[in-house]
Amino acid sequence: MTGLPAESNTLVAVPATHADQAHRLSAVEQEVVELFDQLRDRLLRYVLGFSLALPDSEDIIQETFLALFQHLRRGKSRQHLRGWLFRVAHNLALKHRRNQRSTNHVHGAIMAAEHLIACPAPNPEDQFVTSQTQQRVMAVMQALPEQNRWCLYLRAEGLRYREIAEILDMSLGSVSVCLERSLAQIARAAER
Amino acid sequence: MMRPQESHLSDRDLLLAADGELSAPECERVESHLAACWTCRTRKHEIEAAIGDFVRMDRHKLDGQIPPPEGPRALLKARMAQLAETQAASLYSRGLDWFRTISWRLSLAMLGTVCVLAALAYFISQAYFIPHIRDERQAERIVAVSTPDPSLTPGAIVLVSRGEVCSASVANNKTVSVALQRKVFGEYGIKSAAPSAYEVDYLITPALGGADDIRNLWPQSNRATVWNAQVKDVLEERLRDLVCDGKLDLATAQRDMATNWIQAYKKYFHTNRPLSTFR
Repeated sequence: MTGLPAESNTLVAVPATHADQAHRLSAVEQEVVELFDQLRDRLLRYVLGFSLALPDSEDIIQETFLALFQHLRRGKSRQHLRGWLFRVAHNLALKHRRNQRSTNHVHGAIMAAEHLIACPAPNPEDQFVTSQTQQRVMAVMQALPEQNRWCLYLRAEGLRYREIAEILDMSLGSVSVCLERSLAQIARAAER
Repeated sequence: MMRPQESHLSDRDLLLAADGELSAPECERVESHLAACWTCRTRKHEIEAAIGDFVRMDRHKLDGQIPPPEGPRALLKARMAQLAETQAASLYSRGLDWFRTISWRLSLAMLGTVCVLAALAYFISQAYFIPHIRDERQAERIVAVSTPDPSLTPGAIVLVSRGEVCSASVANNKTVSVALQRKVFGEYGIKSAAPSAYEVDYLITPALGGADDIRNLWPQSNRATVWNAQVKDVLEERLRDLVCDGKLDLATAQRDMATNWIQAYKKYFHTNRPLSTFR
């Protein structure tokens, strides 16, 4: 029970100015919120690419920005924060998926979930994917090695090759090879 | 992808040029080649068409799933405020900094001494103190809880709009299942308590979009403390009225409840003490 608030009468004795301070966002908090507004949708789209449910993906984004908050509060580097955020979100998503897989291993629930993603049933979100080209592109995406898919998703979210290489812990050359091969497959699928 | 001819640009060069990843001289070489070569220009368009196909598919597949950011943003602000408050109260980081300023050898020696003293104190207390006195003290400490432990109960919300909150016919809190109540007691280290001693309460009430989630639940004491469950219920009603009257936005109400409901009470009732009815 460590860390519990003090007794009720102590709480009443909190100075009046403390309440005001609690509601005033610090400079770091403001900075985090600004980055959240800029990058939350991109990060969420990227994390959803890990076949995670939306609530889980939202949790990962929350954890990512709380990690940023801690990072900045400790006075650590403010350089390349966009790449840093994607790297943290990537690692958290991988960890979450690993835990989810081990939890659901016996019941095979994750397999079912992945099957649903690979072969989506008609629902309001997917019904518009009517064109054959888009269906073929989606099929190619599902067949790509995961590393290639991540490269494409990260590039689509506007990250530079160097950032992608750092996030995925691969060489700059490998990033361009991944992108080149993946786009070639998509181009071939679209031509059919 | 194979290069059509040795004299033509490779797909990689074309992609790197399209993505702005080439150095200035390389970029100039690619541009001058493209200006003169229909084959490579066509290939460049094919690559860009593939990028377009991918982006369209990706956006169409996911954009409908992305919920608005207001709720998650409010939750993030509340969690940052809690984190800052918790850490400010903790002497841990200060102690760590102090340890960093002295040599590691000295730190190690002092740490060892502290550990030995702590172990001695523990064994002495085990041997000489009467267990039930310790239990009573523990009970007193637990019973005094008026606000939740932010690390266990940071607050959690469901993504609902103000309209949905206000159109809900029943504004009362849902009953928390017995299994979930046990889990909450377990998290807070409460092994046994009279059923009337606690109310497992929502930090952010479902009537304001609070989630039916363990991160949004904590054992609130029913003992006649100043800031008790009844006082919090009054605040919840007040906030819901303000939200539904359009005088307060939902995210702010949720954030204020999650940050510190007692401070929120003081803020919205303009008083430092609860209304006398509930004392």
